[in-house]
Amino acid sequence: MFASCGPSDDSKITVYRIPKETAPAATPPLNTAAGAGPALEWSAPAGWETQPASGFRKGSFLVKGADGKTADISIISFPEQAGGLLGNVNRWRDQLKLAPITNEAEAGTPISVAGRDMFFVDLVSAQPVTPDGAKSRILGGIFPLPGETWFFKMMGPDQLVEAQRDAFKQFLGSVRPAESVAPATADNAGNTNAPTPPPIAPAAGAALQYTLPNGWQEKPLSTMRRASFNAPDPNGNSADISVVSLPGTAGGELANVNRWRDQVKLGPIDEQALARSAEHLQANGHDYLMVDLVSAGPIGDPPEKQRIVAAILNENDHAWFIKMTGPDAAVDAQRSAFTDFLRSLKIP
Amino acid sequence: MATATLPNEFLKPLRVFASLRLTVVCLGCGMLLIFLGTLAQVHLGIHAVQARYFQSLLVFWSPRGADWKIPILPGGYLLGTVLLVNLIAAHATRFEVSRKKIGIFLLHLGVILLLLGQLLTGLYARETQMRLDNGQTLGYSEAPREVELAVIDVTDPSFDQVVSVPEEVLARGGTIQNPTLPFTIGIRRFLPNARLTMRAQEPNAPVSLATTGFGPNVVVTELPRTVKDDERDLTSAFIEINGVQGSLGTWLVSNAIADRQSFSVNDHSYELIMRQRRFYKQFALTLIHFEHDRYAGTDIPKNFSSRVRLLDSERGENREVLISMNDPLRYRGYTFYQAGFDNNDTTTILQVVKNPAMLLPYIACGLVGLGLLVQFSMHLFGFVRKRNR
Repeated sequence: MFASCGPSDDSKITVYRIPKETAPAATPPLNTAAGAGPALEWSAPAGWETQPASGFRKGSFLVKGADGKTADISIISFPEQAGGLLGNVNRWRDQLKLAPITNEAEAGTPISVAGRDMFFVDLVSAQPVTPDGAKSRILGGIFPLPGETWFFKMMGPDQLVEAQRDAFKQFLGSVRPAESVAPATADNAGNTNAPTPPPIAPAAGAALQYTLPNGWQEKPLSTMRRASFNAPDPNGNSADISVVSLPGTAGGELANVNRWRDQVKLGPIDEQALARSAEHLQANGHDYLMVDLVSAGPIGDPPEKQRIVAAILNENDHAWFIKMTGPDAAVDAQRSAFTDFLRSLKIP
Repeated sequence: MATATLPNEFLKPLRVFASLRLTVVCLGCGMLLIFLGTLAQVHLGIHAVQARYFQSLLVFWSPRGADWKIPILPGGYLLGTVLLVNLIAAHATRFEVSRKKIGIFLLHLGVILLLLGQLLTGLYARETQMRLDNGQTLGYSEAPREVELAVIDVTDPSFDQVVSVPEEVLARGGTIQNPTLPFTIGIRRFLPNARLTMRAQEPNAPVSLATTGFGPNVVVTELPRTVKDDERDLTSAFIEINGVQGSLGTWLVSNAIADRQSFSVNDHSYELIMRQRRFYKQFALTLIHFEHDRYAGTDIPKNFSSRVRLLDSERGENREVLISMNDPLRYRGYTFYQAGFDNNDTTTILQVVKNPAMLLPYIACGLVGLGLLVQFSMHLFGFVRKRNR
């Protein structure tokens, strides 16, 4: 009796045959441990009643029709592609007792929301699917973002949902990255969780003035970077230098230092330890907090000792992060050049 | 079992195990284990604590960052086994089977069964989950905290042949060979939890081990395993496929990547995917409807139930079953409990439990109850008889 599921089969490779599967709409039951994607906010049209968000719902609304019938609006996000566009549209079609479709081009109409593609879906049941004998309609917006996919969905009696179509489209148009949360850390571009294109926030602001140290090469600016350099050494290694500025304190000095410590596999420290270990550099009338972090042993791939030298500046309600990362030897060779660079840098 | 029936040379070592002091020490250690295990949940989470403290022979401790460890406490399995031996030895050496002691004997038999039942449950029971969308049919359940590498031969148009490599085997590393595969699978690196980022976002990240598939464009950063109950590890591995001609490339697989990656060997098409470990059944369930009743006028849940269709071609079963909160479906040794719901009440989550020792605790409790009843009744009747005399 016990043999069929004994502990020994935990470590055994099994081989089995199964009938061909159709692509499932995967909906992972748990939050992923490795950080969440960007947060969003939206504005609800007039007449929508806010409902308490529960379970997976990030937001929930109710619309009442003249006849007392209601339509439900839900906002949900799932990690990764969450089954993909086709899988999820077919899941919704199934809820309306419609046959699945196979052509992804028919699944939804792309609309532009916050500078990215969202897929607008409009489905109506062929027959009544609820006991009250009315046809049902689903209006949906599927919004694939780095690391997760957001689902905006309105479901209810056909007539009521149809009447709310413009309001729903206006609601989809109001979806935007949450200002309060999006730039929680200096380079949250690296914090997202999935192989997807870079997030929404573009780098903005006036060009920086500095003297380029010998051997440093300017690199193209990416989404978050105000300046970006590469400092190669003769051994083929190179240090990467970035200048990032974010409004507010961007999570604070300690949170960012601890995030960097984590990148070089060092344990977190507290405020006192940071005050003890960090140095200050006075340059051009600015007071930089300097940190120098070296991994305890070889890390990464290929394994090598990694190092981060960084300067943090909080000024005029902006946080500035000037950071040099790379293999220990390459970073060490550029330490004095990094200090020279800081002395030459004019923060606008 | 009586003292007189056992020769002396057997009794001597048995007496050591029969010691009442040993019982007290074991019970004391048990209390300490539960106390420390409860505290450790803060840092380790309930699943790791269960494995390290209760489903183990010894509990080890090692200072932060050190690569050695020392045992500090007996684990749950060791304590349970010693208590079991202790009780049996006590019966063999001290207790005499007589009519007077029949109650105590039954009671102890119940305790022995309870200990055995717990051990067997720990060793053999398995809990998985089945997530069903409205109208969906599934013939398998998934382990929520364990992954597998599935190497799927999709050549045949009517069926897939799956080679499932469990997480434990991947974690060991090395090279995997299976007679059904014309290639070997080398585990270049296994990461129990990792963060995946697009390379475009981390241009100076080291070059990936992966040479083909999604891998080269993804940066993998190892993370510590999560200890939170509502989080899940994103497990990743770099695997190299080696055919007769040599290496076909190194792929990155991760349960964060929902899409399969394909390659072909000897005119057979294969797909690779890392996913939650699946346990296929000889039958399937279809969700007909999930019901979530609330108390009128409120959002307070009153009842959850799933109407499912049970399909078992082998046994000719095709019937509807209602699974509700305290009314699970029991079929072919599995118990399906209503555990949760999702997606606007259109997805049901069933907890699927297989426990061959499921009946032992019931029998054990019955025996303990009967033993107590017999023992107290004998005392009561004796007392009443004495008074009437």
